[in-house]
Amino acid sequence: MSDPSGATAAPAWIAELSGVSHLYGETHALSDVTLQVPAGCMAGLIGPDGVGKSTLLALVAGVRRLQSGSVRVLGRDIAGAAARRENAPRVAYMPQGLGRNLSPTLTVRENLDFFGRLFGQKAAERAARIDMLLEATGLAPFPDRPAGKLSGGMKQKLSLCSALIHDPDLLILDEPTTGVDPLSRRQFWELIDTLRQRMPDMSVIVATAYMEEAERFDWLAAMNDGAVIASGSPEALRSQTGAATLEQAFVQLLPEAARGPDQGPVVLPPREGDGEGAPAIEARGLTKRFGQFTAVSDVSFTIPPGEIFGFLGSNGCGKSTTMKMMTGLLDPTEGETRLFGEKLRASDMKSRLGIGYMSQNFSLYAELTVEQNLVLHAKLYEIPAERRAARVAEVLEEFELGEVAQSMPEGLPLGIRQRLQLAVATIHEPRILILDEPTSGVDPVARDGFWRMLIRMSRERGVTIFISTHFMNEAERCDRISLMHAGRVLEVGAPAEIVARRGTDTLEEAFIACLEAEQPAEEVGAPTDLSAYGAEKASPSAAVQSATRLWAYSWRETLELIRDPIRMFFALVGPLVLLLTMGYGISFDVDELNFAVFDQDHTPESRLLAEQFTAIPQFTERPEIKAPAELDRRMSTGEISIALAIPDGFGRKLHQGEVPEVLLWVDGAMPFRAETARGYALGLLDGFADELALARGQTAGGTVDIQTRYLFNQAFKSANAMVPAMLMLILMLIPAIMSAISVVREKETGTIANFRSTPVTRPEFLVGKQLPYIVISWISFWMLLAMGRWVFNVPFTGDVRVLGAISLLYVCATTGFGQLISSFTKTQVSAVFATAVISIIPTVNFSGLIVPVSSLNPGGRIFGLSFPGAWYQPASVGSFVKGFGWSDLWLNALMIAIFALAYLGLSVLAMRKREA
Amino acid sequence: MQSLLNTLRLTVKELRAIRGDKVMLALIFYVFTAATWLVSDASSTDISDLSVAVVDEDHSPLSYRLTDAIRGPLFAPPPVISPGQAKQGQTDGDYVLVVSIPPHFQRDLSAGKDVSLMILIDATAVAQAGNGASYMQQVLADELAKFTSPGAQSEDLVQVVMRNRFNPNLTSKWFSSVMQLMNSVTILTLILAGSSLIREREHGTIEHVLVMPVRPHEIVFSKILATGIVILASSVASLFLVVQWGMGVPVAGSPLLYTCGAAIYVVAVGSLGLLLASFTQNMGQFGLLVIPVIIVMFLLSGGITPMESMPGWLRLVMKTLSPSPHYVEFAQSVLYRGSGLALVAGNLVAMALMALVSLVIVIGRFRKVLAN
Repeated sequence: MSDPSGATAAPAWIAELSGVSHLYGETHALSDVTLQVPAGCMAGLIGPDGVGKSTLLALVAGVRRLQSGSVRVLGRDIAGAAARRENAPRVAYMPQGLGRNLSPTLTVRENLDFFGRLFGQKAAERAARIDMLLEATGLAPFPDRPAGKLSGGMKQKLSLCSALIHDPDLLILDEPTTGVDPLSRRQFWELIDTLRQRMPDMSVIVATAYMEEAERFDWLAAMNDGAVIASGSPEALRSQTGAATLEQAFVQLLPEAARGPDQGPVVLPPREGDGEGAPAIEARGLTKRFGQFTAVSDVSFTIPPGEIFGFLGSNGCGKSTTMKMMTGLLDPTEGETRLFGEKLRASDMKSRLGIGYMSQNFSLYAELTVEQNLVLHAKLYEIPAERRAARVAEVLEEFELGEVAQSMPEGLPLGIRQRLQLAVATIHEPRILILDEPTSGVDPVARDGFWRMLIRMSRERGVTIFISTHFMNEAERCDRISLMHAGRVLEVGAPAEIVARRGTDTLEEAFIACLEAEQPAEEVGAPTDLSAYGAEKASPSAAVQSATRLWAYSWRETLELIRDPIRMFFALVGPLVLLLTMGYGISFDVDELNFAVFDQDHTPESRLLAEQFTAIPQFTERPEIKAPAELDRRMSTGEISIALAIPDGFGRKLHQGEVPEVLLWVDGAMPFRAETARGYALGLLDGFADELALARGQTAGGTVDIQTRYLFNQAFKSANAMVPAMLMLILMLIPAIMSAISVVREKETGTIANFRSTPVTRPEFLVGKQLPYIVISWISFWMLLAMGRWVFNVPFTGDVRVLGAISLLYVCATTGFGQLISSFTKTQVSAVFATAVISIIPTVNFSGLIVPVSSLNPGGRIFGLSFPGAWYQPASVGSFVKGFGWSDLWLNALMIAIFALAYLGLSVLAMRKREA
Repeated sequence: MQSLLNTLRLTVKELRAIRGDKVMLALIFYVFTAATWLVSDASSTDISDLSVAVVDEDHSPLSYRLTDAIRGPLFAPPPVISPGQAKQGQTDGDYVLVVSIPPHFQRDLSAGKDVSLMILIDATAVAQAGNGASYMQQVLADELAKFTSPGAQSEDLVQVVMRNRFNPNLTSKWFSSVMQLMNSVTILTLILAGSSLIREREHGTIEHVLVMPVRPHEIVFSKILATGIVILASSVASLFLVVQWGMGVPVAGSPLLYTCGAAIYVVAVGSLGLLLASFTQNMGQFGLLVIPVIIVMFLLSGGITPMESMPGWLRLVMKTLSPSPHYVEFAQSVLYRGSGLALVAGNLVAMALMALVSLVIVIGRFRKVLAN
């Protein structure tokens, strides 16, 4: 191993790993890696996907927890939290995935502002740095464009800017150029070179799957299957193996077993003459617009049968959209596709039998085994039952899938999954194959094998293959290629022809030449004047820095929320809709009871009794019942829910001083209503008895009058109690779900990497993300209060300031509860449902919503009181109808505040700064 | 024919997917067994152990008798407290009812004077206070009757015989168990159907299916069919095994009719789930959209509060947009009242129409959804 940068004052090694192993479940990502990465140079990790490059970089960046072994970065052993804290401001980490750590709805400047704040920079310093970086990267003309709307190359530049905002001593780049067009890629490396000239002490560690790129690095470590198989300068690796290119060197370095039998280079035998007749694929002026955006513009080409046609271009240039139009998945806005001379229509089922399609991402059913996948597709492609089994067996054989036929696709290596996809795409022996980046992420050996299969199909069976790729060496294996950029085809022709036409040495350079001619002048940029770079760092006090970092998250969260209509709607309109529906939907008012009388007596007494019932507003009188069968029928349909049957002889018995019977039929289907209806009816019968007694002049003397008095809610209206209680439920549910999602979203989209790799602390992150939701929930509270007061007409008798203050504490607690849930959940869906399920039971059943807390059994009472809802419910109900103020509610306020702090404390403990 | 075969093949695939999702299976099992049981028992509006207190300013044998008469299972044992304590206690929500016995109560009553007892009700406990108070009145009146005319049969002028149709003892779990079942069917069908579409879109498998000779309606039908079979089978099993057999709730109507109606409901809700899914980009958004929809569909279905108690416009909106009120009416008629097809045909037609409208929109939007 050499130190190409020569002896400098800095330590010779920027990162030292010894005996590092890392496991994901049963899978070894790294096994006993010992490696010293030289400082002050550009160091590369090379190898295909899934060999442990990313894990190694994440360990060095301190965003993953070390499982075994030791790692020293910048001369510090990062096993200790203090060392990681010291290192954080000096290290920059750009995770894998194009712009994954950026916020797509924030603009270029806002994204950079966010990163500047994370490093505690003041506004003036931040602005100066951002201007300089934008200028240097050529992004200066687009400061106000949302990051999500940038092209791949621009996203990658923005990611780089955000990594460089704090002058790191160590820059860690995980596959920074994957999926970017060759021109952007070249510009990116030029930019890095310039930066390194300005800051010779800065060390860079890069992981890449492109072997060509690795040629420009000072030092390399080749990785395979969790182990470093060689390290040294590119020349050293090449001379060690005697290979001409790094890619060949890499294959030579692989252990014998992984290399497989050496089949020599992939060669494309010449095609035998152009077949006569209609071309296999003919695209005429294909155009696709999504709203204002033109994804594909006027694309035309003609492909003869049996040709391998390569389709090159960067991510997002319109390749996939074009291919979807050619398969009939998308209808073109303009233009048409003809397959063997016949026009393709989306609804045309027959033409689909002639096409095999393989989409970019793995897209077979993970829940079916390899064989089940094949059988399902054989059936859907209408392969006759008698041929089906034979065909499946044939395909298993051809694509060497026999051994894995009963496995689930999920667990298989990428290379085998790609073969399976190809097997599925060809099961019906199509004459045209459309393959969308089938080999991305596959290691070189598997890729070569894959290409041999394609060539065999093309040459032996005359299958026309339309394949998109971003690997230049794959493009060279095609009969003809086309170069696509920004929705347009720039070049079509045989690879050698294009190279000759552009007057370059390689296909890659020819592609770059095409792109350069196309690129708008404003984007070319990179005047690379970085004289201001590395300007004096101002260092504000620790407290100011901490507040700045916290604010960085609050501010970003607020912007994102405002720009996400669905979440905003849920946060602001959701509570109102819920209160409206719950206010009307959960009512314990029993009125409009449909009542009918079945009077078989027809005496003045029976009529007097019936009148009692029809006189009160709770009963709605329905037509009289004439026959017993009618009573039965009308109760069965639910037309009447209470019926009074007065038997014959009622009046006579009363006169004779006997006690006559009456029958009261109540619909018991809804027990609560039935109970209440029964209560009403008994009261009415009492009244009837009194009236009768009065009429007869009997005063029994010594009667007891049992009076009832309704406190706090004289009208005994359900809404007066339920609406304040609903506030408790709604302000629990919605804020908790919102805040739970906000944290889990970061995990899902990958922006959590910013939290892991920057100096922001756990409390700063959590409180910062919580603040916007506290504010928005508190606004919700005032809207709910207004709705309760003026829509549901609930009187408000307490102190509105007190309820406002307690509600503020309550939403702090409920948003904190959401964050606590988010620390256990991984996806947004599980966060939503877990929060809903976990919070609904205690709040609905044990917080006094239906059963008063005082009537619960001791266990239930303790359970209820261990959630903030049971403490908020008395405050809300009390402030509305009981006239409560501070003196009544200080204990509730205190308890809710304790809950808020406890949830925050637990979330901080449960939150991991480093990934497992 | 090919179309039907494709639908069936895709349905088998969907069923395998559901079988593969162990968490979802566990959730379905839990919801239709333990949750049905627990919630039916817990969310009860039955009066039991109601917290009450007595303010006894009489301290007579009669006042002691009255205090003793207040006992379980309806009421928790009442403490005897002072008027001041009672006021504070009710303000703090410690007692739902306070019975106040005035001074010289027994003496005045025996002297033939008219006397009065007071029941103070915390009217913020709306679910229990009203019925609790009417029970309390009854308890006190019975005890007083025993005191004033011991041995007498009844001093009532009229003997009232109560007959509760369809639920003789007014057991609230008879009601809540079936409503809980409907709630579970709604939640699970919406989530299962919706997420099956979003999952395919997120994994890119839907594209794959669409380049094959398969039509959008075959995909849509297969999803609804698979979801429907699973949910319908488990809900019907839950009704007859857990609710009828386990909890002892009688089912009055025809099981076949109920199953048919439930099938139509599941299709309607499943189509609605797909419709919602077609308006969202990812599972996160779907989750946010589906939760309010579930709550509204459930609370305003008539299963919690009868439709009659809602304002007319709201009733109209719900009956036009949501299949749930129709299902509740249907289920109550068939399961409790034993109604036949003729009585519930209207509900069935309404649910079927809603399913149809949702399906037409979903199929119409299918390709457009993929383009985004």
